[in-house]
Amino acid sequence: MYRQGIAGFPYYLGIQSLADIATREDRVAVLNIIGGESKTVSPVSHAFSGGNIVFGTSPGRQGQVLETPSGDIPVYNNVREALNAGHRFNFGVVYLPPSGVRDGVAELIRVNPDLTKIVIVTEKVSVHDAREIRALAQANGIDIFGGNCLGVADSWNRVRIGGALGGDKPDETLQKGSVAIFSNSGSFTTTIAQYLATSGWGTTTLISSGKDIYIHYSARDFAHALRNDDRTRSAVLYIEPGGYYERGVDFGKPVVACVVGRWKSKLTRAVGHAGAMAGAGDSAEDKERWFLEAFGTEGIFDPEAADTSRLYSAKGALVTNISHIPDALTAVMALNGRSPDFAPQGTLSLKPWMVNDRGLQLPPELEIAPIEAMAPYNVQIAGLKRQIGAVVPRQNMKDKSGATQLDPSTQVTSVHGNRVLDLARVPLEANFALPLVHEIGSDNDRAMLDIAVAAEVNLVRDPAVLIAVDAAREAGNSPNTVMAAAAAIIGPRRVERALACTRRLIDLFAFSGLTDARDEDFDVSKIQVDEATRELFRATPEEAEDPRPEAILQAVRDRGSRSVFLKFIETLDQRPSRDALLAAISATIAWEPLVRKKISRLTAETLPWYLRLYGVMVGATIPKEGHQYGMLCGIPRAERFGSWTMADLCYLAITGKKPKDAEAQPLQMLIGLLISNGPGAISAQGAKGAVSADGPQTPARVQINKAMIGFLTHTGYSHGGNGYEGMAFLIDQFKSTGLADPTSPDHGLDLRAMALRYAEGYQAEKAATKEAGRPSRSIPGVHHPVFKGKAINFDPRERFIAEEMERTNSYNVFHAFYRELVQALYDVGASPYVFCVNVDAIIAALLLSLLWKDYKSGTLAEADLENAAFTIFLYGRMIGAAAEIDDHINRGRNMDTRTPIEQCGFVV
Amino acid sequence: MQLTGMLYGARLLRHVDFPTAEVLGPGASEDELQDFIARHGLVFVKPLFKGGVGKKGKSGLIGKVRDLKTALAEKERLYFVEHRHGNSIAKANGVTFEAGVPAEHEVYFSITDDTRYRAPTITISHKGGIDIEELGKSDVATVPFEALTGLKAFVVANALTDLGAPREIISPLVQHLPKLWELVHHYGMTTLELNPIRMCPGPGGRLTPVACDFKAEFDRDDPRVQRLDLPDHLFAADLSEFEHEVNQLRTHQGQSDVFVINSEGTILAPTFGGGANSLVTEVLGEAAVISSDFGGNPPYEKMKEVAAICYRHFLKQSNVLFIIGGKSNNTDIYETFRAMADALREHFSTQGPTPLYVVVGRGGPNLIRGFGALSETCESLGLPYRFFGFDSAISEVVNYARKVDAWMRAGGRQQVAKAIGLDPAAHS
Repeated sequence: MYRQGIAGFPYYLGIQSLADIATREDRVAVLNIIGGESKTVSPVSHAFSGGNIVFGTSPGRQGQVLETPSGDIPVYNNVREALNAGHRFNFGVVYLPPSGVRDGVAELIRVNPDLTKIVIVTEKVSVHDAREIRALAQANGIDIFGGNCLGVADSWNRVRIGGALGGDKPDETLQKGSVAIFSNSGSFTTTIAQYLATSGWGTTTLISSGKDIYIHYSARDFAHALRNDDRTRSAVLYIEPGGYYERGVDFGKPVVACVVGRWKSKLTRAVGHAGAMAGAGDSAEDKERWFLEAFGTEGIFDPEAADTSRLYSAKGALVTNISHIPDALTAVMALNGRSPDFAPQGTLSLKPWMVNDRGLQLPPELEIAPIEAMAPYNVQIAGLKRQIGAVVPRQNMKDKSGATQLDPSTQVTSVHGNRVLDLARVPLEANFALPLVHEIGSDNDRAMLDIAVAAEVNLVRDPAVLIAVDAAREAGNSPNTVMAAAAAIIGPRRVERALACTRRLIDLFAFSGLTDARDEDFDVSKIQVDEATRELFRATPEEAEDPRPEAILQAVRDRGSRSVFLKFIETLDQRPSRDALLAAISATIAWEPLVRKKISRLTAETLPWYLRLYGVMVGATIPKEGHQYGMLCGIPRAERFGSWTMADLCYLAITGKKPKDAEAQPLQMLIGLLISNGPGAISAQGAKGAVSADGPQTPARVQINKAMIGFLTHTGYSHGGNGYEGMAFLIDQFKSTGLADPTSPDHGLDLRAMALRYAEGYQAEKAATKEAGRPSRSIPGVHHPVFKGKAINFDPRERFIAEEMERTNSYNVFHAFYRELVQALYDVGASPYVFCVNVDAIIAALLLSLLWKDYKSGTLAEADLENAAFTIFLYGRMIGAAAEIDDHINRGRNMDTRTPIEQCGFVV
Repeated sequence: MQLTGMLYGARLLRHVDFPTAEVLGPGASEDELQDFIARHGLVFVKPLFKGGVGKKGKSGLIGKVRDLKTALAEKERLYFVEHRHGNSIAKANGVTFEAGVPAEHEVYFSITDDTRYRAPTITISHKGGIDIEELGKSDVATVPFEALTGLKAFVVANALTDLGAPREIISPLVQHLPKLWELVHHYGMTTLELNPIRMCPGPGGRLTPVACDFKAEFDRDDPRVQRLDLPDHLFAADLSEFEHEVNQLRTHQGQSDVFVINSEGTILAPTFGGGANSLVTEVLGEAAVISSDFGGNPPYEKMKEVAAICYRHFLKQSNVLFIIGGKSNNTDIYETFRAMADALREHFSTQGPTPLYVVVGRGGPNLIRGFGALSETCESLGLPYRFFGFDSAISEVVNYARKVDAWMRAGGRQQVAKAIGLDPAAHS
């Protein structure tokens, strides 16, 4: 049952011409106008179309308005209320959720006698409702577009109704021309219009038809209106498989049909008649055939085909790739004696707007250089580029870290993607830089860091720190507490100028084109400097006595290091302050990762604070007497600045001596191993809590030195002294052996016999304690709750270090003893299988090897050994803490380390 | 969502009192089976497939038995039988035993929405029992009818009269067939086919139509399907774990069905818009892991969840993360890209980094903000990327992604692995 519309159609059709679909006279009502989608789309449509929406509905929201650039649109509870208020409309737009669409259509039709057209934007309307909607509209003489569509638009009339054709900038896409578009795909309706413009074709009417089973305004209906629209000389159809809508349709004007979906049909499952009933004979191939027959062409049009002459005709062309549409249309229209509507606008060639190949060696066809985007996108991209460094979203960082991660299966922690095992093989200065640049720095960066830290270690020119540290040590504090006393003094004001200098350097060079901070050929003369900047970098009269600026610059020359920033500061032709040089070194180290957006600007700007803290905290572990003018533990300034590494400095701090040959090697390995145990480690928790309490969302208020103190207060004799337990165990075994050099395999000891002796004693003790019902004691460095249960067990961390020692021909008698011990324990029946030698054992072995000679000579007492072990632990964790602090400042939220009350307990 | 066979078909037909052949499920005991064969004489043994699998008869997958021994042998043959149709392979899990219904007349009947008429339409033939395509046009009537008033008796009567159907079958069919509209329209079906309906003589010689096979397709967008209370597993035919997980998030706002194209594929392509989906699927072919349409302006949370599922299942094997769509009209590029970027960052945090090249082709609202969010993430994760604007031909962007994939396979993956600090040897 249908109302007769245009004569000759066996169903109702009211649209005579494409020009009638979306007109300036249409008055529109939008159902669910303030729903999620409509509230962003409708204002743009309304403004573009000259204010054609007379009202919207939203049950229960009568009296509200939808604000638009063309004035507010009133909202009513329902259509009847709006009509009663005097509004009149002929075009309904349905943005209701799927279950409400049928009723919305019924409301529009039954309540408003003036209604002629409806757009249903909603997708996933059930077939049940679609068939009833069709019947309802047919019976009442209403044309419906959709469902599941983006509505209709008219580039001549400057109107779009019921959807977002042309997106948020319809003017950009809806350019007046001679081509009508009918598309099963909403987004491709706009995309095709965009593509057509590249060949100079504009549009008349654009219809997003939707692709549900029921296409209420179909290709046949479109063809009729196309024939009757004088403005339109050709059409483009974008067609997907399913339905007989296009079969046997006479379009009456040239048409380019893009039929897609061939490959996808392979995905459909084997179905019998039930599925086939709806789908047989309307596949992509079938549809291609329909159009080829209609056009009288012999194949799919491809502009790159050797001979295209039989692939298009005056009636049209078939394409299967939408980017071939413009060429196909131009070819077809040429046969009709028609040229494009306007000059081509752009091309469809590949235009990467944003690129980063990260230095990969791509083949030339992939290495397409970035091309400036069209306006206004080029301006927006330029704006993005002005943003310096990475921006990381903030989140709750309690017990989380973006810097460190402990792999529970291997128990190996990674710091910024580098396993601590690998870090144990890396020079110490690279490890100290890692938390701040998030990668292993270059040789140049390492040398820079060595100089910068070396310039801070000697505290003789900073009596406040030296006195505080000495007082703290004298008071019997542990090494961490002594370090904390020093860190407390390196507060914000102590780094204010260094940070300001770094900030200024970043500002000055940010858009200078500098990518490599070592590139001393870079023309620094183009950097504009004002007097305030010069003053910022200039040493004050009070600093006239400080010899370090010159020493730093000399050290840089001695080491052959390069820095654009140092060069720049030297060109200022004034005596630079130590802060200025620290800032320049920091900027040099940070520059590349900053430019690559590997690190944030905040990280780069705060780098001098960390470097100063590193130096002062290491300096705090050296007794007061070691700090002399120009000398540290007897080592002259020039030597330390000019050639010493971080490992040398740490060795000096621990032993008071300059390391010979590879003496500092075990120390470097140890510190690498100790850097981090992930965000759950107590030390990390202390650092993170301190950051969280200052409020990282206002990063300028976070006191990095206080965060370091947070880490330090969260270490102690238990957490930090573990290495000592292993050492004490080993001392017990070796103190009466006469061992002279633990690194020599020619020690003359029968390690197997020593191990068996201990194992038998342990076995006897174990039996006795079992008899007494007490748990047996564990042996430091032996066994691990994860690496157990096999016939022979290994801690992969111990294996890694053992292999590294083999590779470097290093020997460690204590480690060799441990290996004998685990076997002996098994041999005497003290263990059910061969326990692993765990990572604590190797730490103890390395530590004791480092300190053995001083211990044996009496220079170090056992208490000193404990202090030394603890201090080395602190050096390692200083790096890990820096990583957590920087990460938490960048990512965390204020007070995010709090534990929710429901997870807290009360005990009695 | 398709359902075939009488095991559940008979149950559904009982909703509208349509007579059906008696049927036993795979759990029938030998005693029950013996009794069943004794009562009906002829029994059909059919493999039980999930979803819609047709053409079983032609593939020799229907056993015709008259005694218990043969019935059990056929059960053993067909229980786990594989049915190959084109590229698809379906594996049975069980059999049904369906009573043979003695009859002189077999009828074909279906109801579906026919796009030629844009109306519900019956197809009927009094020469059923064989594939409808094999019948001459004069033996088949196809008649649309009014959706609001439904399938009326006169529509059936007229169709059968026009076909010249035997008089004795017209009245019983006119009486029973209109009921089927109730089943189709009120329970979320889009297609129902009964073939054959065997016209079984009853007392007094009056014929009764008995449905002997059942095929139906359901509309997954219609909540009325739930009225039938059918178990979910019936429609879980070839769903992978991924498809099951991701399609649970399917709502009317954004995201149509997501399919796995090739679980071994190396281009993971979250695709926006049906048009882009067709194009991408076409051009990428077997290189694509999934076929998806995430358009429709999905909100941030949903997009992030969907992306996280995609990454969790497929990122490790992927060479290219390819985010592609046309110039979106309404989908907010910033929201969707931010969601995918955040999910990527979280994936790298929890699952560790993986070598990946990111290729993007997109246009739409907040485009550059979206590009910015994604590029930031790529930068911080160390991933190489190339973002194309909407003024690059989408098909060329797809081809570009393919070429990147080929390069990654030919050593590029190791290069990227090295660049992001992974062991290149582990990614060869």
